[in-house]
Amino acid sequence: MTETQPLVLVVDDAATVRMYHCTMLSEAGFRVREAANGLEAVEAALGAAFDLFVVDVNMPRMDGYTCVETLRSEVGTPAPVVMISTEERPGDADRAYAAGANLYLVKPVPPERLVRIARLFTAGRGVPA
Amino acid sequence: MNSLLAQFLAEAADLLALVDAGLLELERAPGDPDLVNEVFRAAHTLKGSSGLFDFPELTRLTHAVEDLLDAVRAGELPLDSGMTDDLLAAFDLIRGWLAYVTGNECLPATAGADAATLIGRLRAPIGGEPVPAETRLGSAWPDLAPSWLAVFDQEWLAETAAWLRTTSARMRFARYVPDSGCFFRAEDPLHLIRQVPALARLDVLEPARWPAAEDYDEYACLVSFVFAARAGAGEIGYLFRYVNDQIEVADLDGDTIQRFLTGPAETAVEISKPGPEMTGEARAVLAAALRGLSANPTGGPHLISVAGAITQAARALGDPVEIREPDVVTLTATVTRLLADAPPPAENPVAENPVAENPVAENPVEVGGRILKVDQAKVDHLMELAGELTVAKNGLAFLAEGADKEFGRRIKDQHAGLHRIAEDLQAAVMDIRMLPLSVAFARFPRLVRDLSRRLGKSVELVLTGEETMADKDVIEALADPLVHLVRNSLDHGVETVGERLASGKPGTARIALAAAADGDAVVVEISDDGRGVDPARVRRKAYEKGLISEAELETLSDADAVDLVFRPGFSTAEQISDLSGRGVGMDAVRAGVQKLGGAVTMCSQLGGGTTVRLRLPLSMAVTQVLVISVAGQRFGIPVDLVVETVRVPVAEMGRVLHQDVVVLRGEVVPVTDLARALDMPWQPDPAEDRAILIVTVAGQRMGLLVERFHREVDVLLKPMEGLLAYADEFAGTALLGDGLVLLVLNMEEVLGLAARVG
Repeated sequence: MTETQPLVLVVDDAATVRMYHCTMLSEAGFRVREAANGLEAVEAALGAAFDLFVVDVNMPRMDGYTCVETLRSEVGTPAPVVMISTEERPGDADRAYAAGANLYLVKPVPPERLVRIARLFTAGRGVPA
Repeated sequence: MNSLLAQFLAEAADLLALVDAGLLELERAPGDPDLVNEVFRAAHTLKGSSGLFDFPELTRLTHAVEDLLDAVRAGELPLDSGMTDDLLAAFDLIRGWLAYVTGNECLPATAGADAATLIGRLRAPIGGEPVPAETRLGSAWPDLAPSWLAVFDQEWLAETAAWLRTTSARMRFARYVPDSGCFFRAEDPLHLIRQVPALARLDVLEPARWPAAEDYDEYACLVSFVFAARAGAGEIGYLFRYVNDQIEVADLDGDTIQRFLTGPAETAVEISKPGPEMTGEARAVLAAALRGLSANPTGGPHLISVAGAITQAARALGDPVEIREPDVVTLTATVTRLLADAPPPAENPVAENPVAENPVAENPVEVGGRILKVDQAKVDHLMELAGELTVAKNGLAFLAEGADKEFGRRIKDQHAGLHRIAEDLQAAVMDIRMLPLSVAFARFPRLVRDLSRRLGKSVELVLTGEETMADKDVIEALADPLVHLVRNSLDHGVETVGERLASGKPGTARIALAAAADGDAVVVEISDDGRGVDPARVRRKAYEKGLISEAELETLSDADAVDLVFRPGFSTAEQISDLSGRGVGMDAVRAGVQKLGGAVTMCSQLGGGTTVRLRLPLSMAVTQVLVISVAGQRFGIPVDLVVETVRVPVAEMGRVLHQDVVVLRGEVVPVTDLARALDMPWQPDPAEDRAILIVTVAGQRMGLLVERFHREVDVLLKPMEGLLAYADEFAGTALLGDGLVLLVLNMEEVLGLAARVG
């Protein structure tokens, strides 16, 4: 993959879900890295400039909200963040948006939709349309 | 089993082991918050992953477990031994289900009933079934019934809706409209459809109007499919991931279908310019931005990210905005304006049947001149008749042998005349069937473009000699090997731009497909300027796989080492990727080409690139064979393998180790006893000279000890059928002029057999 293609960090503690999202995105031409929880995600974000974060909500060690908050406040990245939750409980979306997410989705997210959203957020950064 | 499901089962096994340990610990230390949390996490992850598949019972059961543990975790409920028992029972049930899934790829039929009892028990302490969220906020993915639902049998739809409502289950409905050029991208719609798990209903849609016979293009896919499946939307999406722009999936419950069946007819929706789905996403992103702004981010990365999201959404709507210094007030105003101007969210409109306006690719042969289009079967029949005539005229040669001298001579004259006419006729018919290789090459510009993009490589495809003609059967048979070889080049041969630049090559790689006629053969070369095959690596791998001995590891020349990739069993598992790992290995390419009477060779320069050369007969219709006999039985051997026939006095036959050899003009040629290779009882007459046929097989000169040589004949080779199709040592059968059936040997296999017999 060339360096011009957007780099996406997929954060989810479920290995199957991670594989699923990563497969979809990398087949659509994105460069993909993965992290199994919020802490790993923050560590990864300190080491590389990601163009998009796809973050699960409920994770061990550091959950999605804290992860996004940390990405914004500590890491200081303005890159778009899409949060994907397993289910929607009242107030979850507000929490996500307050933490700094740019889009909050509820699983299952159809693969073509995830790819479309990733393209929307990264259009103009060299990804195949 | 697909890799996603395999991944899920592996993950689930790990989680269950974790849960086991956790629950056992909990019995010793009841209520330990870390342990409760650990079991809760495992249940949560299992639930999340199971949602990708059609395991609704599993999802519901893990949900119940999760809710119970969540209550315990929050301190709302102490965990008692009864609950622990229920939790253990739940995980035992899940373990049993997963074992069943491993074998059957679906949950057992009893899953629903088994789950219901346990869910009831698990939910009792926390106040029964949860109230489902009334709306799915933030989701711009309405599971509206798509209009193409009307294509399904309405009675079946009504039944299904009723059944889904009683079980409060959902079903996935999909419409798959393969791109009309899909065959040129090596997509196989039928194969995909066949792989849909838990298929409940499939309908094939024909185009509204089939093109007239003379406009019909057999290389265009005109049909589309609708299907219903119990498989999860995730599974379907995964299966169709290469063609995700050609499929629509709707996850529907009984009520939605019922509303569709009884509700008012859908009104047509105007298609908006930026693509309706993208518009939907853009609206969702803008709505999200509004909510983000209402959380009042005070400057910094969060606000910049919201501004970025708005810019991107505006861009997707085709209404770009420029935001200089973002602040909450201006951003809110911008979003409000964009939302007001954006076209309203629309259901995915049903595209016009794309088939109608699809231009039918003009066949270059047919450009200009007066063209008569005929049914292909008629040409095939004519071809067969011409072939039969060629064979029948051979009968005259036999007749001449039995007749007296004068009459025999006259028959031979007649035979010569008939032979010429039959040959001309055959050539004329064959000419009708000739197509330019551009037909076989046509798919590659698109294939290379799509695949190189997917792989992130930059590749220029160069086609030459497309005007070279070959029989249509040859062209058709070339398709699979060519796709495989080009994919191989793209996947393994060509490096990424970075790697290429680092090694001093131009960033854009070059893959060339070149065709040329060479006498009775057509030669197709696939070459790339990629990294080439590393002979040392191939040697090592072949040795590790037991394909070559330790001695060969040392002595094998580089060229011979490269040739090892054609050995069966070489296919390098570590190289398997989604692209080239899917189909066949190089051994299958070689076998396929050899079946056509062709040959494949490969030469490669490490760091400089690889060239694979396919040599195929121009036509596969008539084969020239040399008839020989052994143990009184006649066999045919393709003439193009035969180098010469020699008779060697017994005294000149030699033996090196266990191998009979003959020395021909200073060259030692190994000799194989054909009778022994075919396991036929025959001993050569010790007094007679040995009849030895020298053949070249796989580039090696070999001698074949036979009983007698006969004449060369043209035959119409028919493949073996039925049980005999498994007899690989025969290339096929042919009817001789005297009515006898001739078995034509597949020398490669026969000599392999000889090597095994020893």
